[in-house]
Amino acid sequence: MARVDLETVFKRYAEVEVIHGVDLTIDPGEFVVFVGPSGCGKSTLLRMIAGLEDISGGTLRIDGEPMNDVPPAKRGIAMVFQSYALYPHMSVYKNLAFGLETARMPKAEIEKRVRAAARILQIDPLLELKPKALSGGQRQRVAIGRAIVREPRLFLFDEPLSNLDAELRVQMRVEIAKLHKDLGVTMIYVTHDQVEAMTMADKIVVLRSGVVEQVGRPLDLYNRPANQFVAGFIGSPKMNFLNASLRSASGQGASIALNGRGLDLPGQRAAAPGPVVLGVRPEHLTVTPSPGAVALGDAKVVIVEHLGGETIVYATLQDGQPVTVSLQGQRDVGGDSAIAVYADPATCHLFDATGASLRA
Amino acid sequence: MTTDAIPRGGRRRSTGSSLAVHAALCFASLVMLYPLLWMLASSFKDEAEIFAHGVSIFPTSWTLDAYRRGWEGLTVTFDVFFWNSAVISILSVIGNVVSCSLAAYAFARLQFKGRNFWFALMLGTLMLPYHATLIPQYVLFLHLDWVNTILPLVVPKFMAVDAFFIFLMVQFFRGIPRELDEAAKMDGCGPWRIYWKIMLPLSLPVMATAAIFSFIWTWDEFFAPLIYLNDMGSYTVQLGLRAFVDSSGKSDFGALFAMSVLTLVPVFVFFIFFQRLLIEGIATTGMKR
Repeated sequence: MARVDLETVFKRYAEVEVIHGVDLTIDPGEFVVFVGPSGCGKSTLLRMIAGLEDISGGTLRIDGEPMNDVPPAKRGIAMVFQSYALYPHMSVYKNLAFGLETARMPKAEIEKRVRAAARILQIDPLLELKPKALSGGQRQRVAIGRAIVREPRLFLFDEPLSNLDAELRVQMRVEIAKLHKDLGVTMIYVTHDQVEAMTMADKIVVLRSGVVEQVGRPLDLYNRPANQFVAGFIGSPKMNFLNASLRSASGQGASIALNGRGLDLPGQRAAAPGPVVLGVRPEHLTVTPSPGAVALGDAKVVIVEHLGGETIVYATLQDGQPVTVSLQGQRDVGGDSAIAVYADPATCHLFDATGASLRA
Repeated sequence: MTTDAIPRGGRRRSTGSSLAVHAALCFASLVMLYPLLWMLASSFKDEAEIFAHGVSIFPTSWTLDAYRRGWEGLTVTFDVFFWNSAVISILSVIGNVVSCSLAAYAFARLQFKGRNFWFALMLGTLMLPYHATLIPQYVLFLHLDWVNTILPLVVPKFMAVDAFFIFLMVQFFRGIPRELDEAAKMDGCGPWRIYWKIMLPLSLPVMATAAIFSFIWTWDEFFAPLIYLNDMGSYTVQLGLRAFVDSSGKSDFGALFAMSVLTLVPVFVFFIFFQRLLIEGIATTGMKR
């Protein structure tokens, strides 16, 4: 188990800075997920921890020791690559044993570790096969096995599931989470899939353009996003963002105008009047009045998706702003019909012009 | 009836054109192969018959006399020439494959100052004709006292002088996914071990290509041995063959053809042995692309 500290870490390629001073602490045994859109720097950050990319500025510490200039193999880290990167000319056994052979470990010990890892991942029958004879899921297991045999203090995963089909992805997601529970080792996992992040992480790090937007437990990010970007990135379907204007705000609450109506939201901090964005998740909207809920106005239904467990309605408010409503169960909402949309003010978020949350 | 006729007509046309194409190709092959076949046939002919019947391929009587004359017809027997050629060719193959692959690995994977400049400069040497550097090279080897030894023919091959092979290998190495290097790096490999354990085993096809060409080119080389080897005892087979054609005395063409046929054998054998590796190809299926 390792503790990882990033202290104002920078990455520059020639003149271009891609990681802008990241500060982060990862506690021993934690499962941390780096999540963000393509090009946000999450993989670069992971590769810097692995030692595959140089650190241009700042300090990386593992268990308190500076690691900036330590070669990858000496950091006590194992990494699972997106493409698996299995050695095509070696059998599965050789693939698992290669790192240990490089470290000149005794043959008996190598054999013991490889067999143990193969048992954990249920790939014992595959040990003599070459990677090309394996299915995608099996290759994924071998890639994880190659990481396990080294008994690292830190596991790194670089989008390991993105090449698997949807069903297998769910299955491997569960297995990796189980592996984390069994081994108890610190793991850092990179993905662009917020569902993977929400389901697996102890702690999520949301990145955008080389900057950490928010760090927190999955539900904290869901319930209290620090800004509009995090609010939009976490949760599916995406949070509704409605343009509104702030009439007044004190430490107690805020009063806004939306769609020609007035709306009072509790628990917002003081801010100057002006344009704001009201954020409310589709699953927090209803189409029937309920205690405590206020009307956002009438909306015209555009498209309805019936998923069985839920019904997702895409509609436009009277002022033309699109709104998505996610309803539990199977609802009979016709296309082109009109619905009234209600929201509980307690589940509403306000973002100022810079995108920062106004929640107190 | 009509629906039958149309496809049949179409089929007949395509058969006809395909026949014509094949006939043309066969004829072209025959034209290309004719000199070789003529040489092969002539090596079994009686000396007097070779030029008597002109273009005819088939000998009136078969004799191995030319082979006997050829093998022992010179002051040094042909086994010496074969041995000399084999030593030079095999050392050249080893030298080229080892040194060029190391240079190619450096250009393809290692970071060093001025890498692109040196690579361009190396490619530039492809355009430099051998004859342009011939005299300075000769002077250099003369001062090293290497003339009349095989050293000028072999030692440079161990110094990655063949830009063509380096370029070929660089292109191949660039096709090997970089993530394999990175995985090996995480597994604790330095550049040497990555080269030896990952790159080389995955590059057998390009190594075989380089080996085949290197062998054929060195085996067939005439100019460089002619310049650097002066004693008949150190001649290669190509120089030996020339000795049959004497501008002042009588040329023994039968013996020349017989020995020429034998000279081709190692090239065929080498090609057949290594071309299997060419076909085998690379399996990068450990990667998901």
